[in-house]
Amino acid sequence: MTDERNADDEGNVGDVGPGFMEAADHSVRQGIQGYLMGFALAALLTVASFYVLHTTLIWGPGIVVMLGVLAVAQIGVHLVFFMHLTTAPDNTNNVLALAFGILIVVLIIGGSIWIMNRLDERLMPIEQTTGQTMQMP
Amino acid sequence: MLGKLTLNAIPFDQPIPLIAGGLVFLVLIAVIAWVVIRGHLPYLWHEWITSVDHKRIGVMYTLLGLVMLLRGFIDAIMIRSQQALAFHAPGYLPPEHYDQVFSAHGTIMIFFAAMPLMIGLMNFAVPLQLGVRDVAFPTFNSTSFWLTATGALLVNLSLVIGEFSRAMWLPYPPLSEYRYSPDVGVDYYLWALQIAGVGTLLTGINFVTTILKIRAPGMSYLRMPVFCWTALAANLLIIAAFPVLTATLAMLLLDRYLGFHFFTNSGGGNMMMFVNLIWAWGHPEVYILVLPAFGIFSEVIATFSGKPLFGYRSMVAATMGICLISFLVWLHHFFTMGAGGDVNAVFGIATAIIAVPTGVKIFNWMFTMYGGRIRFTTPMLWALGFTVTFVIGGMTGVLVSVPPADFMVHNSLFLVAHFHNVIIGGVLFGAFAGVTYWFPKAFGFRLHEGWGKAAFWLSLAGFYITFVPLYAVGLLGMTRRLQTYDVAEWRPWVLAAGVGILVLCGALACQIMQFIVSIRQRELLRDLTGDPWNGRSLEWSTASPPPAFNFAVLPNVEGEEPYWEIKRRAIETQQLTAEPDYKPIEMPRNSPTGFITAFFCTITGFALIWHIWWMVGLGLFGAYVVFVWFAWRDREEHVIPAEDVAEADRARRRVRAQWLAQNEREEWLAAHAEVSEPA
Repeated sequence: MTDERNADDEGNVGDVGPGFMEAADHSVRQGIQGYLMGFALAALLTVASFYVLHTTLIWGPGIVVMLGVLAVAQIGVHLVFFMHLTTAPDNTNNVLALAFGILIVVLIIGGSIWIMNRLDERLMPIEQTTGQTMQMP
Repeated sequence: MLGKLTLNAIPFDQPIPLIAGGLVFLVLIAVIAWVVIRGHLPYLWHEWITSVDHKRIGVMYTLLGLVMLLRGFIDAIMIRSQQALAFHAPGYLPPEHYDQVFSAHGTIMIFFAAMPLMIGLMNFAVPLQLGVRDVAFPTFNSTSFWLTATGALLVNLSLVIGEFSRAMWLPYPPLSEYRYSPDVGVDYYLWALQIAGVGTLLTGINFVTTILKIRAPGMSYLRMPVFCWTALAANLLIIAAFPVLTATLAMLLLDRYLGFHFFTNSGGGNMMMFVNLIWAWGHPEVYILVLPAFGIFSEVIATFSGKPLFGYRSMVAATMGICLISFLVWLHHFFTMGAGGDVNAVFGIATAIIAVPTGVKIFNWMFTMYGGRIRFTTPMLWALGFTVTFVIGGMTGVLVSVPPADFMVHNSLFLVAHFHNVIIGGVLFGAFAGVTYWFPKAFGFRLHEGWGKAAFWLSLAGFYITFVPLYAVGLLGMTRRLQTYDVAEWRPWVLAAGVGILVLCGALACQIMQFIVSIRQRELLRDLTGDPWNGRSLEWSTASPPPAFNFAVLPNVEGEEPYWEIKRRAIETQQLTAEPDYKPIEMPRNSPTGFITAFFCTITGFALIWHIWWMVGLGLFGAYVVFVWFAWRDREEHVIPAEDVAEADRARRRVRAQWLAQNEREEWLAAHAEVSEPA
């Protein structure tokens, strides 16, 4: 449609939708540069996570934590370099949407784990209720 | 070749579904024959079926909702009459058929009546209120509608080919697992909902994008009408909650089709996980339905009280508060599961808290009416009926939010009465208020007031006569979904509820008469001004019905009630604003993409239900081809020339100039002097 449909809060024309940012502000070269940087970082983080598995640099039980840290960093790299999530004012919607999404996921997954664990604690083991052993996969 | 489908699938031995299905089929054939013979088919195809105009899609959604409401209401009549007859007797519905009836009633009413009504009204009104020309993704919108229609079609198909689910409106395992429901009923339910669910999710994405990214110049967030805010909240909830539904039903499908063990007791599954997940969607769903209704009441009450909405900002805060808290209460649907006192306490308290923002809204509506000049039109009557009824339903809701109290009434008819109280009193009254309020905008003539008021009073009376006895008999211990019973104390209450449903039948007849009489007397009820109710928001500033492009020039918004401001200024200065400089307008081209995709999805769904695997492949391939074909089209828009825009707008301006001449300045100012100040 016409660009008047893209008026933002202050009525400014020219606030284009997400994904069109580069076309508006950057040259193609800068765009490719960004993608390459993102690719390099993502590859580095992937290699690092394989590396920490087989290294003695980190204390054994700490490896899981390290993998978690690397995974979160990976999410961050993807969001910034490939999803173009920035702190610019025209990106507020995207940041808020991400925050809302994370909140809902935390609520539903966290809530479900809590509820089902409490249920599990309060139930008799299945062997006792049915008098037979169940096969677990 | 045809999977599980044989001639036995058609229930020749059960006269009720066969006759009902046959009748529907005959009516359908008659309608199609009439359309073809009278030569309306090209019109229907070009102007409606392939239309990507949000107004047309909104009207079709609403129509689908009303038709399915009728179907669900027939199920309700069957449930009530069965229980009225089934005292010490088998009644007229055998158990396996009765179980289908109550499962279909719940499924249809929530997914295919309430949802299309709310989404239809959002579709129609939100872009107009935002002062824009269409939604963000018009073809998406059409696809959403046709996918929803596919779901509705599959549910109705189960009437004559095979059977519907007998596992309640939420198919709890283990009953819904293949071992206990090996027939196609649950599969009809699951695939109908999966396909319609995709459509609903697309709607959610579409409307959130529209409201966040496309608004008239100057319309900041805090200048949007409250209906747009509630639509935003409802669609955020759709985006967050519907994937949970899809994933949960997909797990059940894997259990049924591929022998997985998500919700079976054997193989390490847990059926309570289904209950937990389905309600993690189910509770937000309640607010997806009722928030837009709250928005409609806000518009209606402000308009017919002749005052700005009281406490606009608190209304917005309450809406967004409900949006968030609605994700914190889902366990109250299964307090009795046994997760323990601490879990129940947390969710019980969260449930009680969610009543607070709702209470804020009720007070805001009351203070809006206070000191206003209230016009008791049909939409306003629905709004008034809602405030009283919804408060009662809300109070019984807070009662059952207390876990010990909930243990007493769990799965009783008290609970059934409670949720009908909030859904009928909230969502359905809201839908009727919205339909009567925006009908003149959509079609250019008003609905008949007499029949509308008769429908309202009969609905209100019928609702109380039906559901107050159900509260009482629920407290006497009658559980839901009883096919037969033998407790003498319950009998009078059940009979009273049966009388109530008869009154509701009268209300339905009045609703139908309202449409028939209004269409026949449309010249008498014609509204030429485009502003039949003396409205306050932008949808009333354009003609009725609005042109395809909605606004000749996008309005410049300078306050919370832009159209009210425009009117006030016009009357004070005794002239309309200067004629704008008309420009050609680009509008999206109509596209059959949605309809054809839905056609192939119907084939896919039907084939999956009956295990006809080659047909599944055919349907999926067809749908993919349509997508590719759509992606490769090179002309997406057509241009409406400036002369056409000017002509349409000049006609509107002539009418508005007449209106201005009739409205004497002093008189109008005197009439609105005290009410334009906050009381």
